Amino acid sequence: MKLELGYIPIRDIQFGPKSKVDNNTLYVNKKELSALLLEDEGIASVELDLARPGESVRITPVKDVIEPRVKVSGTGGIFPGWCAKVRTVGTGRTHVLKGAAVITTGKVVGFQEGIIDMSGEGAKYTPFSKLNSLVLIIQPKEGMLQHAYEKALRLAGLKTAEYLGKLAEHLEPEEVRTFETLSVTDGIKMYPELPRVGYVLMLQSQGLLHDTYVYGVDAKQTLPTLIGPTELMDGAIVSGNCVSACDKNTTYHHLNNPVVEDLFSEHGKTLNFVGLMITNENVYLADKERSSDRTAELCAYLGLDGVIISQEGFGNPDTDLIMNCKKIEAKGIKTVIITDEYAGQDGASQSLADADAAADAVVTGGNANMVIHLPAMDRVIGSIDQVDHIAGGWSGSLKEDGTITAELQVITGATNELGYNTLSAR
Amino acid sequence: MIITNNPLVRSTYENAHVILFVEGNYREVLVKARDLVHGRHQLITHPLMGSLKPNETPYRSVVVSDAVLDKTDADSVLIIEEAILVFDRFIKTARTDRGEGSTEKMKEDFREIDLSLLSSALSE
Repeated sequence: MKLELGYIPIRDIQFGPKSKVDNNTLYVNKKELSALLLEDEGIASVELDLARPGESVRITPVKDVIEPRVKVSGTGGIFPGWCAKVRTVGTGRTHVLKGAAVITTGKVVGFQEGIIDMSGEGAKYTPFSKLNSLVLIIQPKEGMLQHAYEKALRLAGLKTAEYLGKLAEHLEPEEVRTFETLSVTDGIKMYPELPRVGYVLMLQSQGLLHDTYVYGVDAKQTLPTLIGPTELMDGAIVSGNCVSACDKNTTYHHLNNPVVEDLFSEHGKTLNFVGLMITNENVYLADKERSSDRTAELCAYLGLDGVIISQEGFGNPDTDLIMNCKKIEAKGIKTVIITDEYAGQDGASQSLADADAAADAVVTGGNANMVIHLPAMDRVIGSIDQVDHIAGGWSGSLKEDGTITAELQVITGATNELGYNTLSAR
Repeated sequence: MIITNNPLVRSTYENAHVILFVEGNYREVLVKARDLVHGRHQLITHPLMGSLKPNETPYRSVVVSDAVLDKTDADSVLIIEEAILVFDRFIKTARTDRGEGSTEKMKEDFREIDLSLLSSALSE
């Protein structure tokens, strides 16, 4: 499976009479896009706004972040199961509006969380402060239930990313990168001396506001399976996860999974990147046993020497993480786990809700309880009144002057467990 | 058997499952579940389900087996004891505005999320 990603750099975003990409600027026709989104009967109103790196802008509550992409050749279309038919993606050519993003906001619940600051202290902690973003503020029709609102927001975000992505279909990319996964036998023949490494990607799948979709299917109803790493780059995995802003994997993260990219860049040099497995994080303990058993069997079947396991979320998923780690290690395969920490504001407490001696190689995305101070911003996109109630905030977090004192977990992507952030520990 | 302090879970499932309703907080639900686990009931759902941290929601529901096992299930004991330790660690940073002190609208959302997470397990 071979995919070429063609990057079209976006350095500015503007509203304009015609949606297009011109001279590295993304122009958006407000009217046309709003009309497209209002086709969803559940949506009462759509407001579009822009946020650029360095501006004094705070976006909250952030639901999802999505990168605009388009399939230029190869089977299927971007976001299969949602915007395109369910055909296997991950081959041919895909164009990426690099440096652009669609950000969805909306108060699905009264304590809806997630802050992106485009400048100041907060901007350092989120990779999304560096993107030229189109923000969707979407209000549901009255009486719409939380799960229906979540779905409407999710679809609006995907549709917008698809709409913007299409603008790049016939453009000449500035850079093209090729990613290829060999068959298991070809890999053995080509790199007989290199260690065989796999990646287990854990997906949040606990229920309302905690879901992830694979080719349109709810991940909690799936068994662990092998999936081509390039399939992720075409949007085979979509986030429906709205809780735990700092360590949820947005759709942007799935499209740009850094573990996948790093494994590809080391492939054929220091290791043989054999394959990617996805697994879930369910509430039911029997599901955890079943999924972790299956994951370990897959790793053994592939004859792996080492496995990287990344987690999403905290608490319940810690049990899945440790089960995966223990069972894969029990097959004689070395593991490295990637997680983040809730170690208290002083960083002194135990970081995870579960532990095992087999988990002796751990990479952290940072301590979500660390207290940070955010300056006031000139402009807020979305709504700010929920800040006192969000995870990691507290009554009085939001000061009258617009400054915020809260835990790092308020910031979208700050302690991401794929490592798509700047924090870690030694 | 569902151990819960969430009235919405009680009203949804009282005709379909055995409900042990706890007139108390999140921790008291965990402690009740622990007592039952030590009484040889098996833990069915993870006590820390959901990404809402233990100090950031007033409601909790945990499912244990109706049947009593021949001996105590060691995995269940480890998981429920660990969950109580995690709760005690988080509650040091108490969030009354997301607990008993949260607005009625927020409590409604907390009840709905707790119910929905539980339903996703019970529907299997």
